[in-house]
Amino acid sequence: MCLGIPGRVVELHNDGGFPTGLVDFGGVRREVCLAYVAGEVALGDYVIVHVGFAISKVDEAEAKRTFEVLREMSRLDELEWIADAIEPSPGEPRDALSAGNGRPR
Amino acid sequence: MKYLSEYRDPAIARALIERIRRTATRPWTLMEVCGGQTHTIVRQGLDELLDGAVEMIHGPGCPVCVTPLEQIDKALALAARPDVIFTSFGDMLRVPGSDCDLQQVRARGGAVRVVYSPLDALELARRTPDKEVVFFAVGFETTAPANAMAVWRARELGVRNFSVLVSHVTVPPAITAILNAPDNRVQGFLAAGHVCAVMGWTEYEPIAEQYRVPIVVTGFEPMDILEGMLMAVDQLESGRHVVENQYVRSVRREGTVPARERVEDVFELADRNWRGIGEIPMSGLRLRKEFMEFDAERKFGVAGITVNEPAECRAGDVLTGRLKPPKCGAFGTRCTPEHPLGALMVSAEGACAAYYNLARHRMAEPQEVTA
Repeated sequence: MCLGIPGRVVELHNDGGFPTGLVDFGGVRREVCLAYVAGEVALGDYVIVHVGFAISKVDEAEAKRTFEVLREMSRLDELEWIADAIEPSPGEPRDALSAGNGRPR
Repeated sequence: MKYLSEYRDPAIARALIERIRRTATRPWTLMEVCGGQTHTIVRQGLDELLDGAVEMIHGPGCPVCVTPLEQIDKALALAARPDVIFTSFGDMLRVPGSDCDLQQVRARGGAVRVVYSPLDALELARRTPDKEVVFFAVGFETTAPANAMAVWRARELGVRNFSVLVSHVTVPPAITAILNAPDNRVQGFLAAGHVCAVMGWTEYEPIAEQYRVPIVVTGFEPMDILEGMLMAVDQLESGRHVVENQYVRSVRREGTVPARERVEDVFELADRNWRGIGEIPMSGLRLRKEFMEFDAERKFGVAGITVNEPAECRAGDVLTGRLKPPKCGAFGTRCTPEHPLGALMVSAEGACAAYYNLARHRMAEPQEVTA
């Protein structure tokens, strides 16, 4: 949970004043809070994301390089939690988390 | 011995290693603070490649590993409640508590859910108003802004069935505690780059000054760590002791200001127990009074749980650099990633698991002549 993962902002949203965006992490996409980089980040920019929060902006080359290093070092386990989070445990209502932050995936 | 050919750019790695060896006129002892850095150092065999020029002591910077047993037991008590859906980052599920772990609670029917972000837990609370959703808010300064924002949003949105079990720790007081230990051997630190991306490095400046110890803000990739080591060794050799930034591409001196501010809005400093180390004054975060309604310990009356750590686990000696994991009597026998005695064997960033996985990896690979 300590290593940020770089991803590309592919959609910008605003949930009643709460800035969020859809971020693509090498094909895995999820909604991310952009409040801490508001004003700095535009559509198509690359950001470093910690547990669902963009913490800083990075350039494309650095983002791609870092992502590859994380992949080589098998350090992308957080991306598995994204997949986990949308699988409900037995007996729980399917819709509890399947829509993530209330948006279609 | 690792192979330089495994590096993305072996020539640069070789040049850095050569420069460190040439710069060091005597062996120096450095500590990397971050568990991500420990993982890289052990996996890539960086300290072996340096051939004694630098000894690395693996610091306490793995949040999974330092979360105290009593907080794990509180998590287990909350997760077992029929009215609670307990949510956590995935790597906390296998951390052993006094008599089981969260995964076992789940197997017995407890509602334990892995989430990627605390905002997932908040969203779950909004969608299941008849349940109490508790999020296990662990981590260093990298996860604090996320957890702070989840609590802030919960108040903003009026979500009353959401609460957090807070077990946050911060890096600078741990560095100070290590330096204050009477048998301290650490002469320089590689500070955690991603923590400093959030917090900046101003907090480290008085530590470097007062203890006359170099602190280099360093990334987690092999080249970052080699460069951080070189910068620290260079300071030691020339008698300097300042904060330097190796991780220029991600870290600014002031950090990410809006994130720091939100952490301060929601949390305040508090004494905190560290697994294997004990209490470090003002080394953790707790919710401010204004956010007490989101404190799961208070809401469910588990604040009083205290436990003694099992004597056989020597995590404290490992975390403070007194013991290398393979020298522990339980290593690889009574303590394995499948059956861990303590948290250092659980997380991929824990020093014990890093050494264990390396040993397993080496047994599986063909023997070759090193580069």
